[in-house]
Amino acid sequence: MAKVRIGVYVCHCGHNIGGVVDSHGVAEYAKGLEGVVVARDNRYTCSDRGQDEIKVDIKEHKLNRVVVASCSPNLHERTFRRTVADAGLNPYLFQMVNIREQVSWVHADDHDAATRKAKDLVRMGVARVRLLEPLKDRRVDMEKSVMVVGGGISGIETSLQLAALGIKSYLVEKTPSIGGRMAQLDKTFPTTDCSICILAPKMVEVASESNIELLTYTEVENVEGYIGNFTVTLRKKARHVDLDKCIGCGSCSDVCPVEVPSEFDMNVGNRKAAYIPFPQAVPIKYTIDEANCLYFKTGKCQLCVEACPTDAIEHDTTDELVDIKVGSIVLATGFDPYKPMISDYLGYDEFPNVITAMEFERIINASGPTKGHVLRPSDGKVPKTIAFIQCVGSRNKKIGNEYCSNVCCMYTMKNAQLIKEHYPDAMVTVYYIDIRAHGKGFEEYYHRLRENYQIEYIRGRPAKVWERGEHNIVIRAEETLLNLITEREFDLVVLSVGLIPAKGTDQLAQMLNLSKSTDGFLQEAHPKLRPVETTTGGVFIAGCVQGPKDIPSCVAQARAAAAAAAGPILKGEYAIEPLVAQVDHDKCMGCGLCVEVCPYGAPRLVDQEVGQKAEILEVLCRGCGTCVAACPYHAITAEQFSDEQLEHELMAALQVEVK
Amino acid sequence: MAADNVPDTAWKSTLIDDVGETVNLCFQCGTCTSSCPSGRMTAFRTRQILRMAQFGLPELILPSDDLWYCTTCYTCYERCPRGVEIVGIITSLRNMAVRAGFMSEAHKDLVKTLYETGHLIPTSDKIMALRKDLGLDEVPHTVLRDKEALKQVQYIMEQTRLLMIIKES
Repeated sequence: MAKVRIGVYVCHCGHNIGGVVDSHGVAEYAKGLEGVVVARDNRYTCSDRGQDEIKVDIKEHKLNRVVVASCSPNLHERTFRRTVADAGLNPYLFQMVNIREQVSWVHADDHDAATRKAKDLVRMGVARVRLLEPLKDRRVDMEKSVMVVGGGISGIETSLQLAALGIKSYLVEKTPSIGGRMAQLDKTFPTTDCSICILAPKMVEVASESNIELLTYTEVENVEGYIGNFTVTLRKKARHVDLDKCIGCGSCSDVCPVEVPSEFDMNVGNRKAAYIPFPQAVPIKYTIDEANCLYFKTGKCQLCVEACPTDAIEHDTTDELVDIKVGSIVLATGFDPYKPMISDYLGYDEFPNVITAMEFERIINASGPTKGHVLRPSDGKVPKTIAFIQCVGSRNKKIGNEYCSNVCCMYTMKNAQLIKEHYPDAMVTVYYIDIRAHGKGFEEYYHRLRENYQIEYIRGRPAKVWERGEHNIVIRAEETLLNLITEREFDLVVLSVGLIPAKGTDQLAQMLNLSKSTDGFLQEAHPKLRPVETTTGGVFIAGCVQGPKDIPSCVAQARAAAAAAAGPILKGEYAIEPLVAQVDHDKCMGCGLCVEVCPYGAPRLVDQEVGQKAEILEVLCRGCGTCVAACPYHAITAEQFSDEQLEHELMAALQVEVK
Repeated sequence: MAADNVPDTAWKSTLIDDVGETVNLCFQCGTCTSSCPSGRMTAFRTRQILRMAQFGLPELILPSDDLWYCTTCYTCYERCPRGVEIVGIITSLRNMAVRAGFMSEAHKDLVKTLYETGHLIPTSDKIMALRKDLGLDEVPHTVLRDKEALKQVQYIMEQTRLLMIIKES
């Protein structure tokens, strides 16, 4: 091996490091360490000037190892690897030492001790960099297609964007139609666009786009593989209608004798057992709901079969499992509306005239069960006084939902406006804690609402709700701005329910090894800088699966996820870091402990002529070292973290010679 | 009371040392006030007391009669969406009020009754008649029948300075 020639660069990071650590002193100290040829301190090592200095030194001083002492490797390791590579050095002959997050930021109260610790860390970095070996990036080929899970606005937008980039996507939706929650809404804030009017053209585009394979009434059963090479098993639930034959005429539904609550109408209205969820459904193909169809219950009814003009009904089919291969996965499984509980003390499920905002959307929608007339459930009369209660299921530590659901302030404004437009004499009261009108045009919308409509806002969260007279609802709340306890009677009460993660999100998260944030929604890889990535390579998130958000934010995130998923596919390959574990087959006894402990499923046992040996699937390995530590036969080594390298680093920390 | 209503941060620290930091979680939604059975009859506004405590204004809280209207029924605590330990905070504020020389007359009377009879609610002719009708001893088997036991109760109250605190307030 050529003689080791090391360059050490100690960053001030402005005052971030330099305000606490004597960076110049650390650099001077480094000059005396074994193998160090040049050591400098710079104001910003990451700046072009700082990087150029390293490149020049590599050439002039014939450096073959570089140490940068600055911030966390999470931020700039890639930068400096590129810098040394530009100067012709192998990028893995570089060692980063963190003297910001691990020194100056946490020891700001003791400058001397901080400087001593920085020196210790630099000494350790130098000891380690001597033993580093050149490595080569590994590349995996990308399957040129994407699976998008969830057919709401986020999933639809993701698939359309991928199609625009010429990438095939499988759009998987568990209900019979795409459209999602947005299809259920009447109007959308702050522009009061008709929701389905702006959504339906996109749904139609999905159906006609050759690059999108639409898989409705389908669920994800299993996922295996890794970025570039996922194998997904899908369960195509038995629809009992041949999609090729069905012309969407509705004859089956007309004659179907079974009526059950419609999920699409939030159980306020009914549907048949042979049904489409709503008139604009895509695909416009009927579904026979096994759980309620009389044929499945009694084996007798065949009315739909007789009525169907194209012989599309097929009662005897069963669920089908199909495998697809994709390079990336985008999860856009959305949200469920919060269902109020007894512990909310708001009378939901107890008093008929207490409903949720999602039910209200269906009631005020022209294609809903009341044809758009606001009628109260108890007697079908038009309510004259209506109350909205905010923050139901949100900002509530007691029920475990501490977060703000982001959209309820705004959708309530929209709902209040719609009531006043339909029924100008109606009295509308909103019980709120704070008004959050933070988006573009939102505050102006709130302003207009207060200006143009007589909406009463009471700042107080109701504590008690009870019935009086003909199912009227009395609300007791404090008007906190006046210190007044108010008791008011209403004909109808609408609970502005928050958003919770959609049912089934947990299972997908487990399948794909994704983490959740404390609110139960899926966690992005970085809250600011990697908003649509997850910690699993090739898996992205878009829309409310990541947290409550409005439609424009969902669309923006969907487009971002499409772009992020498309990147490596368009490139054709994906580079993975070579810092992976390696198994020495001479030492491996095939005990399988590594397979058990690996959090990423990278090791597997492979049959040999005699017995089994472990092998690491490199694309899945993150180089975390769990298997290395667990292996009882010391058969596994992590690249750049060999026992020898770690020993030298440790001995440098203890200032002891390695024997 | 200071005219400029400057928060007393040292006082607030003692409150937090006593009952924890949940007082800082209150976002003034008023659920406590509107679930309070006392607040419906009186000027007691749980939310306001909490805000004054959160802000650090003992001059406004401790002399207030309102503080003594809480029945410690825990309805506010049960319904509070923020997990504020409301009743614990009120209890702590009352302890501070008593130490500062403020205690409602009714509460003083209760303590006196406890000292004299060993009961917060002593027996009455009506109750004694009722007990007799039910075939019970007219006077229950408590300190009411046992002068020695009563003396012990009084001893405890003297040792804990409870009586003195009342006299001082």
